[in-house]
Amino acid sequence: MEKNNPPLRIIVPGRVFRREATDASHEINFYHLEGLMIDKDISAANFKAIIQDFYREFFGKPLKIRFIPSFFPFVEPGFQVDISCLNCQGRGCSACQQSGWLEMMGAGMVHPNVLKNSGLNPKFWQGFAFGMGIERLVMMKYKINDIRLFYGGDLRFLKQF
Amino acid sequence: MNFSYNWLQSFFKKKLPKPEKLAELLTMHSFEVAEVKKFNRDWILDIDILPNRGPDSFSCLGIAREISTLAGFKYIADKYELKEDKGIKARDFINVEVRDKTACSRYTARVITEVKVGFSPKWMRERLEACGLKPINNIVDVANYVMLETGQPLHAFDGEKLQDRKIIVRFAKEGEKIITLDEERYRLEKEMLVITDAKKPVAIAGIKGGKPPEIDLKTKIVVLESANFNPRVIRRASKRIDLKTDASWRFEHGIDPNLTEFAINRATLLIQEIAGGRIAQGLIDFYPGKVFPKRVKLDLDYVTSLLGIKISHQEIIAILKSLGFKIKHLKSKIIEVEVPTFRLDVSIPEDLIEEIGRIHGYQEIPAQFPVAALIPPKRNLDIFWENLSGGILKEAGFTEAYNYSFISEKDREIFRYSKRELMEVENPTSLDFQYLRPSLIPNLLKNIEKNFRDFAEIKIFELGKIFHHPKTEKKVLSGVMSGEVFYETKGTIDLLLNKLGVSNIWFDEYRPKPGENKLSIWQPKKCAEIKINHEKIGFLGEISPKILDSLKVAIKVSAFDIDFEKLSKLTSEEHEYRPISRFPSAVRDIAILVPREVKVAQVLNKIYDTGKKLVRDVDLFDIYEGGELPAGKKNLAFHIIYQAEDRTMTSEEIDGLQKKIISALEKNRTWQVRQ
Ligand SMILES: [Zn+2]
Repeated sequence: MEKNNPPLRIIVPGRVFRREATDASHEINFYHLEGLMIDKDISAANFKAIIQDFYREFFGKPLKIRFIPSFFPFVEPGFQVDISCLNCQGRGCSACQQSGWLEMMGAGMVHPNVLKNSGLNPKFWQGFAFGMGIERLVMMKYKINDIRLFYGGDLRFLKQF
Repeated sequence: MNFSYNWLQSFFKKKLPKPEKLAELLTMHSFEVAEVKKFNRDWILDIDILPNRGPDSFSCLGIAREISTLAGFKYIADKYELKEDKGIKARDFINVEVRDKTACSRYTARVITEVKVGFSPKWMRERLEACGLKPINNIVDVANYVMLETGQPLHAFDGEKLQDRKIIVRFAKEGEKIITLDEERYRLEKEMLVITDAKKPVAIAGIKGGKPPEIDLKTKIVVLESANFNPRVIRRASKRIDLKTDASWRFEHGIDPNLTEFAINRATLLIQEIAGGRIAQGLIDFYPGKVFPKRVKLDLDYVTSLLGIKISHQEIIAILKSLGFKIKHLKSKIIEVEVPTFRLDVSIPEDLIEEIGRIHGYQEIPAQFPVAALIPPKRNLDIFWENLSGGILKEAGFTEAYNYSFISEKDREIFRYSKRELMEVENPTSLDFQYLRPSLIPNLLKNIEKNFRDFAEIKIFELGKIFHHPKTEKKVLSGVMSGEVFYETKGTIDLLLNKLGVSNIWFDEYRPKPGENKLSIWQPKKCAEIKINHEKIGFLGEISPKILDSLKVAIKVSAFDIDFEKLSKLTSEEHEYRPISRFPSAVRDIAILVPREVKVAQVLNKIYDTGKKLVRDVDLFDIYEGGELPAGKKNLAFHIIYQAEDRTMTSEEIDGLQKKIISALEKNRTWQVRQ
C-alpha cells in the first residue's frame, strides 16, 4: 500500500506460521489470503457483494452471507463473515453446530490509522480489508476433515488433487 | 464468559426474550453466543466478549446495557445509598499510600466493622456457581459477586491483620516473597506491583490476594479495596509469574477508573446486608487524575458512505443515546458525541459508525457492487512460471506436495547442516520444527519414506521457500523419484526446461569446491550440475545410500533441486512465443534395450506409426551403452508427448496407447522395453 496510490485492489496469498498445538483444525503452517480495496467511496455494502460473489463462485452453489460484529485491530468496524452452512443450507446440522452458519473469515473497513501509516489521508480514502485461511476453504469444498493432511505428504491424499 | 440468564433478568422489570432468542440478538448485534445451556433452574449463556469490549462488558451490568439497547427495555440502575456510621471514621482504621500513580491511577477503600463472617445466602451462592466461581464466605463472595456484576475486581482484607493499619501500593523489591490465598509461594521482581502493609506484601496488585490478611471466621474489621491498575503492569506481572485470575484478566483489558466508587459502594452495602456490621464514615479515595468523557465529532454522511446503507439521522441519534452516548448538534449533518467513560473502545468516528452499524443490524446492509473503472492487473510472471512448471511436472506423472517449512535437529544431523548456516526457530512448537528448512530435499525424502511401501513408483515435487542464515530466503523447485532413475531424472529436467522454452541445457559433472559438503547428500559420480548457458541453476543426482539408510528409505531415490528464481529469470529472458494448443499434452517415458546397430529413427518410426496423430512428439533424451548392460546392446530413453487436437486425453486413454506402443515395439524379438 505504501508504494502505490489508490485506487487499490490487492490480494496477497502466502504461507503463514502460528505457534500452537496441532489438531484436526489447527496447523503450525498454513496459507492465508489477504485482500484490500481502497478508493474514494468503498463501503461495507461493496464488500458484501464482492465476497458473496466469491463464495458462490468458489463453492459453485447459491449461499447466503452474514456479517456479525467482531474485532481486529486493523479495521473499524470489524466483521466476522459467515456463510450459510453448505451441508444443511442453513437449517442446522452437526457441521455448523446447529447454527446454520459457518464462520469463514475476519474483515472490516480499513482503520484510519492503517491508512495514515501508509501515507494516505483517511479523509479522502476508505475501503475494506479481509483475511481468510485457504486450507479451511479447501476443506469445506472437498469435505476434508483434518487440516494436517495438507502437510502430511501422504500420496493417497495428494494424488486426489 | 458465562452469564446467568436469571441474573441478567434481575436488571429488568420486563420479561427478557427466551434464552435462545436473546442469544441470537446478542450474536447478531454485540457478541457471538457460543452456547446456551440449562443449569438447574437457570440458563447459562457462554458469550464471546470481544477483547476491545472487555472494559465495559466483562460484567452482568455490561451485558444488561447491551440487552437494554437491543430489546428496547430500560435496565434498573441503582445508585446504592450507604448509611455510614458517623461514630467511626474509615481513616482511623486504614491509611492508604500510593507511590506510583501511573501504575495505580485510583485506589478507593472502605471499612466495615463488626461483621459476622459466615456462609453467604443461597441466591448469591447459586449465581456465583452459575458463573463458575466457588463460594467461600460471605465477605469474599460479595467481593467476587460485585466483580461479576460490575466488572470491577475488589479485594477484602482483615483490617486487624494489616500491620500498622497501612496499605501501600508500590513496586516490589527484587526477591521479596509472598504466599497467596491458595498457599502458593511467589518470588517477586521489581517491575511487579504489590499491595503491602507497613512490613510485608499482602497482595500481588490486581492479580491475587496474600495469605496473611485473609478473611476468616474471626474477622471483625473488613477493609475493602476497589482500585484501578495499569493494564500493562498487570499483564507483565501476570505473565511473569504465570498466574491468570478473574481480576488480572479484567485489569489487563482496562477498566474505567470511575467504576471503583460505584462498585465499592455496592459491595459495602451488600456486606452490611448479609454480614451485618457498621460502615465507617468516609470513602478513602486516591484519584489524582480524574477521567472525563471524550468528545468525538461525527459527520452523518460518512456513516452512510462507510456502511453503504442509509440510516436516518433520527435513528442514528436514537441508537447512540440508547448506548449511553450524549449528543450535541453542531451543524445539520455533524454531531458531537460525548462518550461515557466506561466505553474505553470508542475514540474516533469509525468507532461510532461501528456502534450504529451493528445496532441497526449488519444484515440490513445490502450487497452492492462498487462502481469503479476496471483496471486489469499486471501479469504476475512469478505465478505464470510456477503454474507452468508445476503443470509440466504433473503431466510427467509427478504429484505436488506441500511440506512443513521446518526441519528437526535430527534432520540437521543426518544432512550434516552446520548450525551456522541455518535459521533456528527461537521458540519451536516441537523439536520437529527447530529450524527453517534450508532445502526442500529432506522433507521430500520423508515423503518417500512415508509412501514407498504403498506405491511402486513415486514422483513428488515441491515448489517452496528455503531459508539460510543470516535471514535469506529463496524459492526453489525440487523433486524426488523412486527407483533406479538417474537418467529419467535427467530426462525430466530436460523435458521441463525444454517446455519452458529453454534450449541451452547442460549437465556437468560436479567438482566440489573445497569446503563444500554436497557429497554428503548425493551419490558421487551419479550427480550433476544443471546449467543453462553455462550458468548453474541446480543440481540433480542419486541420493547417497547413507542418507537413505538414516531415513529408513529402503529403495533408491534420485532428486533434483533447482533455483527457481534464477530459472524464471532465465526463462523470462529466453521464452519465445509458440502457438499454444487448446488442450493439454501429457508426457510418458519409455526406455528400450535394443541391439547396438539399431538406429534411433527405426524406433521413432515405430512409435509414430502406432500412436498416429495422438503422438505429437517423441524426444530421445538418453543413449547408454556398456557398463552393466548386456554385450552388444544399448539403451534408448524417450519422452513421448501425447496430445489430441479436439479434446483432453484421459490418463486411461494415454496409458492404453502407451501399452499399445510397447507391445508394437516388442514385436521385434530383440527389442526389450524396460519397465
Ligand atoms: Zn449445517
